[in-house]
Amino acid sequence: MTMLESIRRKLARDVRTAIDKPAEFRADVEYTIEGVKRGTISPRDVLIPALSTLATLVFVFVLLIPIYWVLMIALQGDGATLYSTDSAGLIPQDFSPEAFVWVVGDLFIPGAIVRIAVPFTDVVYYFEWPRIVFLDASNYVDTTSDFPRYFWNSLYIGVATVVIAMSLIVPASYAFSRREFAGRMKLLYGYILFTQIGGGLGIAALIALYTIFSSTGLTNNKLVLAVYYAAMAVPFNTWLLKTYMDSIPVSYEEAAIMDGASPFRVAWEIVLPLAKPGLATIFIFIFLTGWMEFIVAQLVLRPENYTLPVGLFSLVDTYTVPWGRFSAFALVYASPIVFVYMFAQRYIESGLSFGGVSG
Amino acid sequence: MSLSSVGARSRDGYRAIVPESTQEWISENSALLLVLPGLFFFSLFMFFPLLFTIYLSFTDAEPATVFQDGPGGITGFFGLRGVENFVGLENYVSVLSDPAFWNSLGITWLFVAISVTLKVAFGLFLAMLVTSDRVRGKRYLRSIIIIPWALPPIFTITIWRGVFSSARFGLANQAIAVFGMAPKSWFNDRWLAFGTYLLTEMWLAYPFMVIITVSALQAVPDDLIDAAKVDGAGFVHRFLNVTVPSIKRPVMFAAILTAAASFTQFLIPYVFNRGGPGRANELIILYGYREAFTFDAYGAGAAIMMTAVVFIGIFMLAAVWKGQLAEGVN
Repeated sequence: MTMLESIRRKLARDVRTAIDKPAEFRADVEYTIEGVKRGTISPRDVLIPALSTLATLVFVFVLLIPIYWVLMIALQGDGATLYSTDSAGLIPQDFSPEAFVWVVGDLFIPGAIVRIAVPFTDVVYYFEWPRIVFLDASNYVDTTSDFPRYFWNSLYIGVATVVIAMSLIVPASYAFSRREFAGRMKLLYGYILFTQIGGGLGIAALIALYTIFSSTGLTNNKLVLAVYYAAMAVPFNTWLLKTYMDSIPVSYEEAAIMDGASPFRVAWEIVLPLAKPGLATIFIFIFLTGWMEFIVAQLVLRPENYTLPVGLFSLVDTYTVPWGRFSAFALVYASPIVFVYMFAQRYIESGLSFGGVSG
Repeated sequence: MSLSSVGARSRDGYRAIVPESTQEWISENSALLLVLPGLFFFSLFMFFPLLFTIYLSFTDAEPATVFQDGPGGITGFFGLRGVENFVGLENYVSVLSDPAFWNSLGITWLFVAISVTLKVAFGLFLAMLVTSDRVRGKRYLRSIIIIPWALPPIFTITIWRGVFSSARFGLANQAIAVFGMAPKSWFNDRWLAFGTYLLTEMWLAYPFMVIITVSALQAVPDDLIDAAKVDGAGFVHRFLNVTVPSIKRPVMFAAILTAAASFTQFLIPYVFNRGGPGRANELIILYGYREAFTFDAYGAGAAIMMTAVVFIGIFMLAAVWKGQLAEGVN
């Protein structure tokens, strides 16, 4: 688990940097003030960056107001509505976690009895634990949302998508990066084209896709949906991982081959470990495909198999939208992605800047 | 992939049956085996449905016919043949002679033209802002402003639907109330609704433009700008004569891609008001979708989708020629 370890270390470093930032900033400011007092720094050099930074901050805030706004509505619980009071304003009157409780619902570990028989003896151990309740939603709200069910559906599809897609993509990108074969360039060209415009073609083929799924009785099947997402993830992620593998020096492999390693061992023990950051990037991308996809999911899934995006939309697709609850639902759905994204941002950016784009 | 794991007898059999030249070809291109599974699944879910769309567009398919077990035929092999009938170009004729189709195509092109202009301009402006020497903490600002990119589209689009809620306290109505204007019902007026699409599309797509433009701007050589400063060129001159030429290609490339995204925009009109009021603002993909699933005309819907595919194909070619998309592949 060296990868988890390295992620943990990076996270720790990021957190430490973030904690140190305010103190660093204060030291900077003090230094600048001192400099201005002594006359070594001209006030003009201080004022212009300070003002333009402030203006930019205000601008960015205005830009992101919609996100701030749903956060404020969600924090006010079910009382928030767009229709009667001004509770939908930018500065909320009162706070209530009710909407979030409604979304998350009861949090508990179900009670269970586990029976462990020691082999070849008559000894049997029984372990029993009661239902452990962390949060009993009924103290706060009458009903709870279907969020947990949608969450498990989404998780199931996401994990299945990753497993299937990885088993298709990793060997292919290795072949593209390290081997020669007939039609390699043509295939690669085709994949690159589809990375960019594939989404649109996918939607254009929606009617046929639905007809095929329905005629063959494959609608409302989570596994089939996962296979579909995995297939759609192939071109972009193969290309991305291939580009990443290209950056791994061939000399490592040559050394291993000299030592008599088989082609499989070279791939498994040299290339894959070195490609970990690339693998992590495509892991996130593939998982998010299934986590975010809405159009196909809402077409083929029935309510019991709804994923989070479809569940979110089914909340809003009525005439009386429960805005507080809707906002809380939306935020709980979207926030993990933002955290993952912010952590992985530098990898994603560097991943997207290679090839074609950075002219 | 060597065949050593297969038993010796079957190996001998393989050598006896398969011609030598074929054996050679296989052993030379064995790495193709690693690529084929992915290619197979991708083709199965991308090209096969596309081919099937072409087939459907020549039939009178609708739920009543297409899901009934019918006679065999080519598609019958896959269990896909219903009792739909081949009608030739009838769907295309009726689609192309339908004013609603031309309205949809027109509004789609208008949407593409305006939204791409807005996205490029706004993305360029923001990118200049967060690479400016006068702004501090640019790295943090950059990671904040591209947050919308990390959010699921259905999340952001439903939020924007709330922003443009016709209620008095929808965010857009609160904003115009500041200027003393009465609340508007945004989705009930054709051009107001179209404006909300544009604004939302711009907000959704600006992070992509910002990322590409920022990386292009960072590649502009500083000495060129310094030289221009020494020569006494003002900001506008520096921008037009130094910055623009060096970032033109990446921005152009991003514009083509984002135009394709605008052309296939489906979720915004679908979530906002189903392309309303009436069917006035149905962008082309939504038009085909509604023809098929709301009005049960799968054949006509498929014909509409195929005309859209032709345009997407043109975009792809433009991306290859103009953006030199696949340059540097090896």
